[in-house]
Amino acid sequence: MKSRFKNLAKYALSCIRRYKVRTLVILVCLGIAASVFSSISFLKDGLIAEGELSLKYAPDLTVQGISAGRQSFIDTRYADFIRGIEGIKRVEPRVWGYGNIGNTLLVIVGVDPNTINASAGTTSATPYPLEAGSFLSPQGSGMVVIGKGVSDLLGAKVGSVLTMLSESNEAFQYFVVGVFNSESTIYNADMILMSIGDAREFFDIGEDRASDLAVYLNDVEPSSYNSVLNQVARRISAITNSRVLTKDVVLKAQETTYGARSGYFSVTWYIILIAVAVIAFNQTVVVGHESKFEVGLLKALGFSTTDVIQVRLIESTILGALAASIGLTIGIMYDVVLNAPILRDFMLGWATLYPNFAVPTFITAQTVFLTYAVTIVPLLFATVIPSWVNATVDPDIAMRGARA
Amino acid sequence: MIEAVNLAKVYNQGKKYEVEAVTDANVIAEDGEITVFVGPSGCGKTTLMSMIGQLLTPTRGKVLVNGEDITAYSDGWKAVFRRENVGFVFQHINLLPNLNALDNVMIPLFCQDVDPKEYREPALRLLEKLGLAERAFFNVEQLSGGQQQRVAVARALITQPKIIVADEPLTFVDEESARTITDFFGKLREEGKTILISTHVFNLAKLADKSYYMKDGRIINSSTG
Repeated sequence: MKSRFKNLAKYALSCIRRYKVRTLVILVCLGIAASVFSSISFLKDGLIAEGELSLKYAPDLTVQGISAGRQSFIDTRYADFIRGIEGIKRVEPRVWGYGNIGNTLLVIVGVDPNTINASAGTTSATPYPLEAGSFLSPQGSGMVVIGKGVSDLLGAKVGSVLTMLSESNEAFQYFVVGVFNSESTIYNADMILMSIGDAREFFDIGEDRASDLAVYLNDVEPSSYNSVLNQVARRISAITNSRVLTKDVVLKAQETTYGARSGYFSVTWYIILIAVAVIAFNQTVVVGHESKFEVGLLKALGFSTTDVIQVRLIESTILGALAASIGLTIGIMYDVVLNAPILRDFMLGWATLYPNFAVPTFITAQTVFLTYAVTIVPLLFATVIPSWVNATVDPDIAMRGARA
Repeated sequence: MIEAVNLAKVYNQGKKYEVEAVTDANVIAEDGEITVFVGPSGCGKTTLMSMIGQLLTPTRGKVLVNGEDITAYSDGWKAVFRRENVGFVFQHINLLPNLNALDNVMIPLFCQDVDPKEYREPALRLLEKLGLAERAFFNVEQLSGGQQQRVAVARALITQPKIIVADEPLTFVDEESARTITDFFGKLREEGKTILISTHVFNLAKLADKSYYMKDGRIINSSTG
């Protein structure tokens, strides 16, 4: 029985070699479909993972000011009101925004050096693990710590001086004291940290206003976390002209955004898949006469219907797996090596992406498995069913039909 | 011994273009004999041969092999019967393209529980006996019609079947190949094989131990010797 299966497998391999055009068409079409599917999926998974990572250090709640329905600065006096709510550990007014160095748009974040654990290399304890230099000093001003991506992009190192145009159109100079290398690609790509005082000065934001308020809850049992969080959020939402965001809401927004964007491509992929199924089916029909004749002949020579189906199953599985492997390799190369040109602009949707920005790619076993499944299964249907239909008729009828 | 009892085949039964290709054929083919079916083109020889060889399900009647009704077998068992007992030679040769002569000969082994490598030498010997030793590794498209039919004969014999069913084996064959194939059938008879041949060439009937003459789907006469 083992020899028989081995023989059928050998015969299936010989079919792949004999029907060169069909093999090539299927490999090319399915390879393209698998590469589109895998590159989008890896990118989507990467972006969602990146989103989760960036929220790892995020506050439990973020309170934003709203003006005319749009996000605006929030009055810092609300911080005192929030601190008075039961269950709150601390409230931090945050100052952040965007600034240019030449034509490069960067994210400038004001941080309180006293509240950041900046020990070098401890990635789990801080979002900004230092790769070089030191962190901001609580006493000093005019200093910045930059992300590794910014360092690479600007060629700036510890000791470099950065000149940026402030909100009041003045050129401000900052001394680079450190370079951080975060787990988060997005943090590294375009973030500059400075003291909150310097950030206020740069953005011309007075003490009475902040970009948002970061709210941290007291430590609670994980089981009651959501209940406490919702109670606090309800209390805070009493503040007029404000919006309260939980980590979950932010993450869901990211998932929806990236999921929907990848959805457009998924639709494209489905279209490709349908085209591939049609091509594969056509190939079966185009070489249908040949295939029908072969099925009839094989049965005349002693192959059973099951043998014929096994041959086609093996043939399609090998072809599908080969196409999926080629597609996965191209997908990974496209995302990781080529940095996903075109797709990254679409998926990320950011106005500015720097050439050195490595798109977050997350290769999961689930996506790899799914790529194999969605490549092999349609091919099995497209090739095995016609063979099964041919194999169920008398060999003489199949051969005569093929000749007719 | 093979016995066909009241064998009939109706194509498109119940439809507008219904045609009865074979009507109530009764045939007996003894072991170690050559049984020939002679008749003009379209008289139902191929249909009759296909039914006897279990390539076609009869509309009526049955085929007995050593007394056993093989027409009652399931599709799977018919495949097993063909695999273990019958070697086919077709009028249209029916070799697989893009394969060489040796690979074509070996095809019936791919559905068997054997190691095809062990059959390589016997396959080469068969091709040699049929005068194709130097053509064994030629792609079949590079062979003449006669050479292709000789490859088909070798393919029919690689599994050492007891029964050989040859449908118009000389139709597309040159004189030299026809002679080789005819002589080969004579040798197979000496080995005790049961051979059924259909032909519209009366010369081939000279080989026959028994001949059946067909016209319009019916056996109209038979002769012995």
